[in-house]
Amino acid sequence: MKVCFVTFRSITYAQRGQEVLSRAGINAAMTRTPRPLAEKGCGYSLKVPGEKREQAKALLRSNAVTYSKLYCPDPMGNLEEVP
Amino acid sequence: MIYFDHGATSFPKPLGVRKAVEEAMRRFTNPGRGGYAASMDAAQGVYRCRQEAAQLFHCLPEQVAFTMNCTHGLNMAIRTLVHPGERVVISGFEHNAVTRPLHHLSARVEVAGRKLFSPEDTLEDFERILRTAPRAAIFTHQSNVFGYILPVKELAELCRRYEVPFIVDAAQSAGSLEIDFEALGADFIAMPGHKGLQGPMGTGLLLCGRLPEPLMQGGTGSMSQSPQMPDFLPDRAEPGTVNVPGIWGLHAGLQWVRRRGVKRIGEHEGKMAQFAARELEKLGFRVFRGEHQGGVVSFLPEKGDCEEWAERLGKRGFCLRAGLHCAPLAHESGGTLQTGTIRLSCGPDTTENQLRMLLRQMPMCFSEKQDFLHNSPCHGKKNPL
Repeated sequence: MKVCFVTFRSITYAQRGQEVLSRAGINAAMTRTPRPLAEKGCGYSLKVPGEKREQAKALLRSNAVTYSKLYCPDPMGNLEEVP
Repeated sequence: MIYFDHGATSFPKPLGVRKAVEEAMRRFTNPGRGGYAASMDAAQGVYRCRQEAAQLFHCLPEQVAFTMNCTHGLNMAIRTLVHPGERVVISGFEHNAVTRPLHHLSARVEVAGRKLFSPEDTLEDFERILRTAPRAAIFTHQSNVFGYILPVKELAELCRRYEVPFIVDAAQSAGSLEIDFEALGADFIAMPGHKGLQGPMGTGLLLCGRLPEPLMQGGTGSMSQSPQMPDFLPDRAEPGTVNVPGIWGLHAGLQWVRRRGVKRIGEHEGKMAQFAARELEKLGFRVFRGEHQGGVVSFLPEKGDCEEWAERLGKRGFCLRAGLHCAPLAHESGGTLQTGTIRLSCGPDTTENQLRMLLRQMPMCFSEKQDFLHNSPCHGKKNPL
């Protein structure tokens, strides 16, 4: 199963994001942001099932949860930023 | 011991609060730093406290910044809004937590509303000064000396009308008076975690309507490569390790307050204070009481120094605070700067029975054999009379 990473500047935003997604039935585990994805240092991410990424983005935006970027695996399995 | 100093800190703390502190010391490591279970659990505990506070005060969790106490929050808020030499308006009942930072900034302070228990006077005086566009307005929700409840909703409306940023000091009101952060439109509301919110000492909350200017810089677990503090909440206001056991205890305190009900707590404390005020008057004390009063009553004896009274009551197991209560401005407004007052501050579990026990002891503090020594340096020595 493809897993995408939604990165956040603040753990608090990640936590609120997790709450928002969980209410919508999307299980998003929180994890430390992998180093290659971390902008300007450390942070936390939510791991979102690939097929739920668009729904997750919409939910975060409509609930004013600020996230940094969304990364999903390309066909080779490398994480790349997606709009 | 019968405790009537809830204005200083709530005591005893609910059992759930004490257990929560112990649990945090046993289970939680540093939140927002590691990715392993104990760190993530700690982070979740901290977030749950933010959520609980956000629900109680009608704001977003990220608008809740943890502080060491209310004073810490007020300093951050004041330093954000007020620059050296700028003009501000404050109420006549402010604590040193407001006046000292302003003094340090050499702010030009205008005091509005000096009449006790008079919202009309407070509002009229504030509006007169707000029209002149001061840099900021700062006012307490409830006086820690006299229990006077200021008309914060109306003051907030005036500030919004005249577009003056404002800070509310909720030190004595958080947990006993309704506070709706969103409706008030405040720039900041500061409160201690350890008074009406029943949490441990060493905790506080600053509700932020805008980005605060940090008092300290340091690690936040975020944007680590940037030499600057993050430009987002709550990280900007929380450098270093937060007081995790305190915050988890505060979470339990907030839950306790929510279950008991803020309105119910406030009504009870007010009722107890009014009962005490009436009975103290019957005993011949000069009591400061009025219509707009919360769970705090200040009073003065006919004879003797207020500190001696508090000491004698303390020896009999009754805990009251005497003196200036770190609020000389309030005493100036109330006309008690020379004498100070004895302060009785009620809590959610203060009972009429406890108050009756105190009242019965009052005349015994004033027996012939141990007359008060007025202005005497002979404290502890035999009465020469």
